[in-house]
Amino acid sequence: MSLIVGLKFDENNRYHRFARTVVISVISLSIFILVWWIVSLMADTPAIPTPLQTLDALIDVYQYGDRMTGISLGTYVSSSMSTFLRGFLLALAVAVPLGLILGYSKTLRDLSNPVIEVLRPIAPIAWAPIFMLSLGYTLGPMLVVFVGIFFPLLTNVIFGVKKIDPNWIDASKTLGASQLQVFYKVMIPSAIPYVMNGIKVGLGVGWMCIVAAELYATPLGGIGFYLAEQATAGYWPGAYAALVVIGILGLLTIGVADYIHRVISKRMGMDV
Amino acid sequence: MSQENSEDHTWRESSASCTDSHICIKDLTKVFKRDDVETVVLEGFSLDVKKGELITLVGPSGSGKTTILRLIAGLIQPTSGGVLMDGELRTSPGADRGMVFQDFALFPWRSVRKNVEFGLEIAGVPKEERRARAEKYIKLAGLEKFIDARVHELSGGMKQRVGIARALVGHPDVILMDEPFGALDAQTRNIMQVQLLNILDKTDQTIIFVTHSVDEAVFLSDRIVVLTKRPAKIKEVIEIPWPRPRDRATPEFTALRKRILTELEEENVMEN
Repeated sequence: MSLIVGLKFDENNRYHRFARTVVISVISLSIFILVWWIVSLMADTPAIPTPLQTLDALIDVYQYGDRMTGISLGTYVSSSMSTFLRGFLLALAVAVPLGLILGYSKTLRDLSNPVIEVLRPIAPIAWAPIFMLSLGYTLGPMLVVFVGIFFPLLTNVIFGVKKIDPNWIDASKTLGASQLQVFYKVMIPSAIPYVMNGIKVGLGVGWMCIVAAELYATPLGGIGFYLAEQATAGYWPGAYAALVVIGILGLLTIGVADYIHRVISKRMGMDV
Repeated sequence: MSQENSEDHTWRESSASCTDSHICIKDLTKVFKRDDVETVVLEGFSLDVKKGELITLVGPSGSGKTTILRLIAGLIQPTSGGVLMDGELRTSPGADRGMVFQDFALFPWRSVRKNVEFGLEIAGVPKEERRARAEKYIKLAGLEKFIDARVHELSGGMKQRVGIARALVGHPDVILMDEPFGALDAQTRNIMQVQLLNILDKTDQTIIFVTHSVDEAVFLSDRIVVLTKRPAKIKEVIEIPWPRPRDRATPEFTALRKRILTELEEENVMEN
């Protein structure tokens, strides 16, 4: 490390730590690209384009859009993002209140547990054909995302409510709090970091779902559609370019969620 | 706050006169039952507490000291017997019986100020008055510099001073302290004992204090209640009329400490 940055690495200096992260990431990605390049040259098949060919395809789609449909990359991305966001908001609106109630009431939790445990292992993408064909290409992908985010979020919220320090509840009771006040002054705030953790995990799963769901979809279906279309046409560099876009967008989404999660946990003094 | 008897609550009028005492604990018995195993934790515990008195409960470990406090707080229900506050039976938790916990039980998502204000919020005290009253007790606890600090930024001793301020601010009839200094190191513990006495000088607060440190009990108490091993009964009640602050090095102090320690040892020996 000291050779690369030209000075001695100091663990206690935040700029040094940041520089280290950057340098390591660059090295890591370079190795990845190098390996990719070697594999593609050795395999010598159009199905594995070189990183350079992929970059060309990426620049091409960025500049001229999808040459087959005339739809721009921005339209694909925003279409995916908006489906994703709607599925996410729906999951949030359903999973958080439900999780708080199920975490609070053991009876309701025990009652719902068998149902949840049966539904949860079903891969969200398994719902895709059903949702697409019965609800159409707008609601369909959104609901697949919903399913993907819903379960990790729900489990985390329930876990958060169950993990509440019983002393906090006792303390609030001896300060005069009623059952209802215990619920919204102690249980809800203390579950927030777990909600955020659930969102973080859920976004990752949800992002995988959106792309998979879009493979079934029409040209309105976003980046997943573009990927399928390019691969079907045998234009492999385009398909790989789509993968790069998907990876970067997923990274950004989770990065934002992770940042918010850390800020909130720290602000609330809870290390979750 | 409900004050009526719960169905399984047998109230015996027979023993202990409760006519003019501040807090009257009458014939408290607690049996924990799980499947077919009954554990009698507490048997016929009666105690009259005068206003402004500091009573400590000492007993062999596992003797049910904490159970007594939780029964008085209303956090658990007695198998028989009851707690009267100024002649009225209490069967559920309420702001008239504040509590201080061994592990502090502060709300980590709230600042020091907001922790102390919690009970006042519950009581519906208007914002301005709430702030003023909280500030008064935070000052009394010597924490004015940390008023906006988060709980995780405080040392153990400071945390417990917040816990004490939070309990004091609502002017409860009694504060139940459950080994409040048990999680602190010996030095901090001694400092906290002196600070507690200073605070009490200014508030005339009634306190029931559970400790396993005989030294602490002799240093603080107006009366020490020595408990037997489980099922806990009162072994002896010792009045300590000495003025405070007390000197731990006087012959009387050491003699009393030794006497109580011997009594506790007897209990432990009988157990083996």
